[in-house]
Amino acid sequence: MLRIEGLTAAVGGTSILRGLDLAIGAGEVHAVMGPNGAGKSTLANVLAGRDGYDVAGTVTLDGVDLLGLTPEQRAAAGLFLAFQYPVEIPGVGNMYFLRTALNALRRERRQPEVGAIEFLAMAKEHMARLEMDPALLNRSVNAGFSGGEKKRNEVLQLSLLEPRLVILDETDSGLDIDALRAVAEGVDRLRRPDRAMLVITHYARLLEQLRPDRVHVLSEGRIVRSGDYELALELDAAGYGVRSGTPVR
Amino acid sequence: MTATDTIVERLAAGAVDEAASRARAWLATHGFPHGRDEAWHYTPVDEILATLAGAVPAAGPAGHLDRSIVDDLAGDHGGRRIVFVNGVYVPQLSDDRPLPPGFHFGPLAEPSGVPAMLGTPGGDPLDGFDALNRLAAGEAAVVRSPPGARLDSPLHVVHLGVPGRGTTAVHPRTFVHAAAESRITVIETYAGLPGAMVTNASSTVHVGAGAVVAYHRIQAEAPGVTHLGRTRIGQAAGSELRAVSIMTGADIARLTLDVVLNGREARTTLDGLYVPRHRQRHDHVVTVDHGASAGTSRQRFKGIIDGHARGSFGGRIIVRPGTVATDADQSNHNLLLSSTAQADTQPWLEIFADDVRCTHGATVGRLDDDALFYLRSRGVPLAEARAMLIAAFADEVIARIAPESLQQRVAATVYAKG
Repeated sequence: MLRIEGLTAAVGGTSILRGLDLAIGAGEVHAVMGPNGAGKSTLANVLAGRDGYDVAGTVTLDGVDLLGLTPEQRAAAGLFLAFQYPVEIPGVGNMYFLRTALNALRRERRQPEVGAIEFLAMAKEHMARLEMDPALLNRSVNAGFSGGEKKRNEVLQLSLLEPRLVILDETDSGLDIDALRAVAEGVDRLRRPDRAMLVITHYARLLEQLRPDRVHVLSEGRIVRSGDYELALELDAAGYGVRSGTPVR
Repeated sequence: MTATDTIVERLAAGAVDEAASRARAWLATHGFPHGRDEAWHYTPVDEILATLAGAVPAAGPAGHLDRSIVDDLAGDHGGRRIVFVNGVYVPQLSDDRPLPPGFHFGPLAEPSGVPAMLGTPGGDPLDGFDALNRLAAGEAAVVRSPPGARLDSPLHVVHLGVPGRGTTAVHPRTFVHAAAESRITVIETYAGLPGAMVTNASSTVHVGAGAVVAYHRIQAEAPGVTHLGRTRIGQAAGSELRAVSIMTGADIARLTLDVVLNGREARTTLDGLYVPRHRQRHDHVVTVDHGASAGTSRQRFKGIIDGHARGSFGGRIIVRPGTVATDADQSNHNLLLSSTAQADTQPWLEIFADDVRCTHGATVGRLDDDALFYLRSRGVPLAEARAMLIAAFADEVIARIAPESLQQRVAATVYAKG
């Protein structure tokens, strides 16, 4: 479903991704782990189409070249990035934002738009599953939300927008135990045979719930090692200093 | 003949009464402002004077307007509406819905007699343009509420400009007098048809003791117009003013907003939004004069500037000697939508008392790239994402507009800028 080949990215002449290869099939969950500075967030940003990177290589989603698309076109193609630091947007109501986003995607997918009342019922149902306070709908997007509320709001969007490819960028960071459990369960419920997930994380704790099919180690802009879930546990115990072993495709 | 004489001769030759002769004498002594005047620093006053020197008085009220055009240009906000075209009251375009007893809402033919009648001292003109307004104004719009009365529906004064041959100069004049303990909502709209015009508008607002006035000044004039406006507001003890100035139209527009807190415990909030684009220029020069103790004032002005446009805000706070317990606050935030847009902001504090809490802050910035990316990453197209962020920026001011239909009308203008 997602195929990344020879992906490079640089900022202001500093090379961050240095020829990254990765392929994720439909229904699979892959984790990319790595120390700070390995290029994890850059990978997430480049896939979602953030400005400011010099990018080369190829990235396709269901055969569609993503690198030539704007961020909103990538979203329409089925990509969703859950942000490590969800942006606070004072003055833009959360419900208005969510419905605007959903309807923008539905227009692209030639589906009928959802009216305000229908949307409210739909949002509340999704929020209940995430143990989210419905009052958050009436606030500005992420403005003044706690760390846990922000991450749940990301998972709420993921749940409403029904993407084909989900990228979770450090979604487990800054969460207490309860919030981590709610977020992990929320994401786990969203696994589908036709949906792929790329979980970018520093720690293994989110992976305990998600049990990824593959775990990759990102270091200095490349995948240096790949394995199954056991690799995540090994890294968690021993740290990223361990880089022995042969890189596996 | 000096340039001042030429302008007076062309535009106000017929003014002969006592107030007119005082204004004429004042103008002969002080003349018009020039670019070296601090308060006119950001306004192209030479260009404005050159335009005015070539202008002629309006030929007369234009006959081809109907109510649907007024609805289109100024909106219908539920209350009573009176319409002036080129400074002349037009009964056919105005409502005659009855008002509660004691209210007056209509034209008054002799503006020079109005201040005495309303108990509002005329005082010296604010500047040469204000003096010219006193010389050349036609019928004034008068809004007057009786003591203790409360009217929820807005009283809407519409000043329409209809250009003629050459450059037409008009001098609209509005008086608002809210008697003690009364509560009224006023809308003053400036709009019109495109073409070369100078709108030189003076308004006076008196907020009586304990009265509450919501005052909305909407400048939505057509392309080709130079708009010079001034609203002078006096507040008695315990009164409350909620003023909102919206600037969307004209080529060059400037508003002087002067508020004097004459009585104790007066409260005032001034909100403003200016949205120049293309080569428009929008200037606000605001003064809040704390002349009495325990007054509270808040100025909150926002600019959204696009294209090659310029917007400016000069905000002055004066706290007079001998006053205590003043609480004054001022902010000016600007959003630049293009690399060629320009915002100027100048706070100006003159504090002659000790017991004062006074804050001010100003920013000039661009749309937040992180927020734009966030919205786009959710599938919201760029233009829509920009419009959402622009609307969010403007919302704080728009939310201060009391009549909901006016709020929606202003919001629609701002959203259209995405």
